[in-house]
Amino acid sequence: MRQTMRQTLRQTRVLAGATAGLLLLTACSGGGEDVDLDGGGDGASGAGAEASGPVLRAAIGGEPDQLDPNKTSSYFSFQVLENVFDTLVEPDENLDMQPALAESWETSDDGLTWTFHLRDDVTFHDGSEFTADDVVYSFDRIVDEELSPSWRFGAVEDITAVDDRTVEITVSQPSPNLLSSLGGFKGLAIVEQANVESGDITTAPVGTGPFSVADYTSGESIDLVANPDYWGGAPEIGGVTYTFISEGATAIAALQGGEIDWTDSVPVQQLEQIQGDEAVETGVVPSNDYWYVALNEKREPWDDVRARQAVAYAIDREAIIQAVSFGTATPNQLAIPQESSWFTEYDQYSTDVDRAKGLLAEAGVTSATVDFLATSEYPETVTAAQIIADNLAPLGITVNIRTVDFATWLAEQGEGNFDAFMLSWLGNIDPDDFYYAQHHSTGGSNYQGYANPEVDRLLDAARTETDTAARKDLYAQAATTIADEASYIYLYNPSVIQAWSPQLEGYTARSDRAIRFRDVTLAE
Amino acid sequence: MTAGSIARFLGRRVAHSAVVLLGVMVVVFALVQLVPGDPVRIALGTRYTQEAYDALRAASGLDRPLLEQFLSYVGNALTGDLGVSFRTGEAVAGTLLERLPATVSLALVGVVIALVVALPAGIWSGLHEGRVSDAVVRVVSQAGVSVPDFWLGMLLITVVASGLGWLPSSGYVPIAEDPVQWARRVALPALTVGLVAAAIMTRYVRTAVLEVSHAGYVRTARSKGLPASVVTGRHVVRNALIPILTITGIQLATILGGVIVVEVVFAWPGLGRLTYDAVAARDYPLIQGAVLLMAVMFLLVNLVVDALYSVVDPRIRLS
Repeated sequence: MRQTMRQTLRQTRVLAGATAGLLLLTACSGGGEDVDLDGGGDGASGAGAEASGPVLRAAIGGEPDQLDPNKTSSYFSFQVLENVFDTLVEPDENLDMQPALAESWETSDDGLTWTFHLRDDVTFHDGSEFTADDVVYSFDRIVDEELSPSWRFGAVEDITAVDDRTVEITVSQPSPNLLSSLGGFKGLAIVEQANVESGDITTAPVGTGPFSVADYTSGESIDLVANPDYWGGAPEIGGVTYTFISEGATAIAALQGGEIDWTDSVPVQQLEQIQGDEAVETGVVPSNDYWYVALNEKREPWDDVRARQAVAYAIDREAIIQAVSFGTATPNQLAIPQESSWFTEYDQYSTDVDRAKGLLAEAGVTSATVDFLATSEYPETVTAAQIIADNLAPLGITVNIRTVDFATWLAEQGEGNFDAFMLSWLGNIDPDDFYYAQHHSTGGSNYQGYANPEVDRLLDAARTETDTAARKDLYAQAATTIADEASYIYLYNPSVIQAWSPQLEGYTARSDRAIRFRDVTLAE
Repeated sequence: MTAGSIARFLGRRVAHSAVVLLGVMVVVFALVQLVPGDPVRIALGTRYTQEAYDALRAASGLDRPLLEQFLSYVGNALTGDLGVSFRTGEAVAGTLLERLPATVSLALVGVVIALVVALPAGIWSGLHEGRVSDAVVRVVSQAGVSVPDFWLGMLLITVVASGLGWLPSSGYVPIAEDPVQWARRVALPALTVGLVAAAIMTRYVRTAVLEVSHAGYVRTARSKGLPASVVTGRHVVRNALIPILTITGIQLATILGGVIVVEVVFAWPGLGRLTYDAVAARDYPLIQGAVLLMAVMFLLVNLVVDALYSVVDPRIRLS
């Protein structure tokens, strides 16, 4: 349920709740049954009086904190901005990177210089022309002001505009993940300098995307109108009106009552019933977020790989998934979900108590106590901890669940004051994001203290391997070893759950939670 | 003399309110000091530099002595400066004012609904103590008190909005923009808060009427042959007005203070939902501002109620 924010920061993992706002509720909207572009919600809009198609009414779970794509970390903001801004490249449904504002690119033989060729038919919503300078401005802004996506530019040394249509990026080492770093989500959106400098970008952003922001009424709605000059072709629908409904039951009632056309505010406990309703379409897709348990390898007995494996064999993933998600999540023993082209088949750990006991005996462990760090910020950690405690009891392992607020949680994790914890990582696309910081012995988020020179070698090699097949193979080896040695005990990928009206066609729920309305049609 | 005594009475009440307000400010100020964790760290998230930390700490004044922080907080608050939201970077005072009309709409309509239900039901019940109709009112109002407001809201959405399709399930339209849409949208949330308040108020009204109707002067009025309607109107209801006013004021102030759950259920963009979002986002300046505004509205409503007391019952201003 905490689908809140899609955090894109690799180091920030779930952290978000704290800063971003989201929360678990989702939304529903309220909008309007009589929303039309020039009248609808409030007299102020009217920008799209000439737009022709019907307006899609979407209810999201909460209100954006701001509409500056480079600054916000709130998923509610990105639900809107996905349709307003473009990136240089962008992920398709399988999260492979495809051309967007850049129509092609090539890398130098040494892999250190990337040349991007920009489309020449792109204008911003205010009519000004999009050029290479806008790309340089946007990326420099993120790096210079240390905005939240700035870590993605870690390997980038220089960004220059060769001419109006060409951008050259030099990197310190071959960086096969550069495309997903530069286009993985709309936090890397290309913004307009004048819009930033006027300060308007926080509430009236100007992008190059399929829709422009026509009106924003705080607390009530955000109205987008179709961009007739969109480089990818003008959308068929006339616009999108977003309303904010955090209560799932209200959103579903609004959808069933024809007041809205789309929502991701879906109460999971009602999912089966909603799926049986012919008046509602649902999309349930495993996300590329994942939840895991980590054991502190700087403490006994968890420094012994057999003790960690024993825990991995004792855990009942299905029971955890039922408890935290009403069975909507997908069990996974690695981080990357099946929908991704980086998926690796792996199912080493079936629940096997005898095997767990055997491994513990081999490790010489007869009893143990686990200080399990959980946080009320993410209630699934508390729920899952209770099941894990129950799973481990037959092994003679006593789990003491310590539930703290998230600030304390982070501090305890940072100082290594735990035997075990459970948390998630959100919004990753490239396998480097999934594995390097978490499992490399020098990784910034390797709080569990895992160190394996072979895994370090694989991760380092994969990071700079430019042949995709070879790279995939390196990550498969690294990930398999990581799971075999239970550096993380992977649990599941939560699902993206959305519902919409049968009148809405051409929409697909995506595993990266991007909400794209540019190609949809809406029967009137 | 009447005017003077009312003024003196109100003067005392205003002074009293000022003391309460100062107490509220102490509590609101302490809120940030008492939360677990460092508010600056919470605002910054996990990735930040020491310079950013020091800058925000200095900017929010958290590096100054407590007393100095408090005095500047009070000074700013009195001049309408409630700080800046962590989450949106907008002025807290402006954000609160934007949300006020939605909540005021909801509260006023809700209280009117509550009065329309509770006055007749409570008076009837009080005058017919022990009869079947009294028992019915008591059972129904007890049930009403026990119903959680979010559940009643969901029920109304399910039945009236999705089931019958009579009214929209959620959303808000300002009354100035489209009074008809405003009324259609305020109906269900106002009915939800109104019915819950009505259940509570009915019981107070009944008790107040019951007490008065046993008073000696009512018996005298009856025994001297006054018609029942005159006894009820002039003697019973008028004397029962004080407790009725009190409970009405409390209910109004409560709804104004943000019926958080009802606003969330109906996606109503009022103070309650704003507060809910602020708490979820750990937006301390906004939480502080919202709590302070609620306290001020509570005090204002009570002042008005006090003033009405002295109009309704001259004995009050002398005491």
